[in-house]
Amino acid sequence: MSESNGNSNGGDQDLGLYFLEVCRRKEMKVKEEEEEEEAPSELNTINSSGGFVVVSTDKLSVKYTSVNLHGHDVGVIQANKAAPTKRLIYYFEIHVKDAGVKGQIGIGFTSETFKMRRQPGWEANSCGYHGDDGLLYRGHGKGEAFGPTYTSGDVVGAGINYAAQEFFFTKNGQVVGSVSKDIKGPLFPTIAVHSQNEEVLVNFGQRPFTFDLREFEAQERMKQQLKIEEIPVPPNISYGIVRSYLLHYGYEDTLNSFDVASKSTVPPIYIAQENGIVEQEITYALNHRKTLRQLIRNGEIDAAFGKLREWYPQIVEDNTSATCFLLHCQKFIELVRVGALEEAVKYGRTELSSFFGLPVFEDLVQDCVALLAYERPLESSVGYLLKDSQREVVADTVNAMILSTNPNMKESKNCLHSYLERLLRQLTACCLERRSLNGDQGEAFQLQRVLSSSKRG
Amino acid sequence: MSLFWIVIRQLAEIEAMAASKKVITREEWEKKLSDVKIKKEDMNKLVMNFLVTEGYVAAAEEFRKESGTEPDIDLATITDRMAVKTAVQNGNVEDAIEKVNDLNPEILDTNPQLFFHLQQQRLIELIRNGKIEEALEFAQEELAPRGEENQGFLEELEQTVALLAFDDVTECPVKDLLDISQRLKTASEVNAAILTSQSHEKDPKLPSLLKMLIRSQNLLDEKAAYPRVTDLSTAILEDPAV
Repeated sequence: MSESNGNSNGGDQDLGLYFLEVCRRKEMKVKEEEEEEEAPSELNTINSSGGFVVVSTDKLSVKYTSVNLHGHDVGVIQANKAAPTKRLIYYFEIHVKDAGVKGQIGIGFTSETFKMRRQPGWEANSCGYHGDDGLLYRGHGKGEAFGPTYTSGDVVGAGINYAAQEFFFTKNGQVVGSVSKDIKGPLFPTIAVHSQNEEVLVNFGQRPFTFDLREFEAQERMKQQLKIEEIPVPPNISYGIVRSYLLHYGYEDTLNSFDVASKSTVPPIYIAQENGIVEQEITYALNHRKTLRQLIRNGEIDAAFGKLREWYPQIVEDNTSATCFLLHCQKFIELVRVGALEEAVKYGRTELSSFFGLPVFEDLVQDCVALLAYERPLESSVGYLLKDSQREVVADTVNAMILSTNPNMKESKNCLHSYLERLLRQLTACCLERRSLNGDQGEAFQLQRVLSSSKRG
Repeated sequence: MSLFWIVIRQLAEIEAMAASKKVITREEWEKKLSDVKIKKEDMNKLVMNFLVTEGYVAAAEEFRKESGTEPDIDLATITDRMAVKTAVQNGNVEDAIEKVNDLNPEILDTNPQLFFHLQQQRLIELIRNGKIEEALEFAQEELAPRGEENQGFLEELEQTVALLAFDDVTECPVKDLLDISQRLKTASEVNAAILTSQSHEKDPKLPSLLKMLIRSQNLLDEKAAYPRVTDLSTAILEDPAV
């Protein structure tokens, strides 16, 4: 085999494998979601200022039991974990059960090495809102005007807004104010009591907050959205991207309707043609790709095989390729769908058995075969195979394979990803990179969240 | 410490920051890009959202068939909405007002500004068609009372009436009101109001995502040199400028 031959075969095989990977990922959906960071759940009773306070057995309330004499016997206590950072906002609340003799209660955030006998805010790398004077302390013993005092019966909250890089505090459900967050590194939710009988309950989210955090988050997102909306984009750029998407995936009927409609709008929309050469890449074999997509979406796999043999024999030449494998699996799935179980067994024996034991194919073969084990396969753990999206993946595979037969296709990567997808990947990667360069602070971009975001006017 | 040394130190810090800008090679970046997981069905939803919001009913219907993506709004309502929009675009404002009221009478009731702008557009159309007497009558009877309620409306009304003061409209400072763009502006206002009344967002999500991309690249530029996409229409990755 000549070197160039070997390369092109290898490339095509990779395309098929790419989609195989997409299928396998689907079944492992749960693992793929971003790992939840550990969040504070209780008070840290090991690293607390022992002797001055008593922490309840549930580790969610604290009481000052001594008589305070000076500024170095504060009953201060941190949460068991640092505030998680990979999110828009972190927030916790305290309920002042008893303001004790002097009401010298503090709430805020401190770094890991915080001196555990001082009020949050009195020392460097800490910030605190104090109940007796309503002042905000940031790194030294002199407070700044901030908000009202708080006492018995009040609910006070402290939060970190990672997007705005601010600390904010609330009292009885209302925002008191915010200050710039100038401390780096992990920050621990911290509370302090400093006069006899002061008692505070802490809520790390086990119970509903008094403060409407969801609404606050929604407003924060709106603020960011407004900033984004100011950015200009070239006119009609979205039309061009949608159009190239339809071309890329061979949604030809949609494309035709779209073109007719955009020509008749007032004023008509003209999409710049300067990237005509690039567009040629995805106009390639449009009608063939549309036909095959329809066949596969209708579950007519034999017919799809037939058309491929007729039009693109090179794609189905190697019966052990990932593309053929996906088509065979789909045929098997279609047989199960219509209840032709015997035929499915027979088909599986002839076409799928050879894939058993091969690392990349094995999972999917096993899942396919497992369909036979269930009376109602759709409701089983392998039910995803019977969904529309599985047909779509197979159709996308064939679509990419046909695109790759275009002699003018410059990069095989272009067969896989539409412009829209490339832009979305770039967006996601930029957000992730920026977060990782920013001490892992803030939430990642998720297309899902944008799509399900509230319908606001 | 003298001011001089403070400045020198600050400059050194800035320099250090610039130097510490992370450089990400094309190879590293492409690895990151390929690790991103974008679901096909989410992209389909994004495209459907665009078709629906921009009013491409027939295309949305085809896309539902071809991709199996369900639209997030009843497609029949798009047809009605587009009929209103087209009526305004073609200058049939009375027709548009009637259609909006057929769709949902609350839209104009709760939206005095929109109603005023539609009436203003009616006046503009009368002036365009040379129906001077009718235009004057309409301005006095329908628009002036609303201007009394609202200073902003009054100013807009006065500007519109100014169109009548010129024999040659091209000399009129507010001649843009007669431009097609004024119709489009009014049409898009009524379009947005209908979408909002259907508790649907008035803008498609795709343009916002493109804006987000531009912004996130700009923000990342401060911290790193990496392959960026400058031309959104080609999505071509450009090598980092180092």
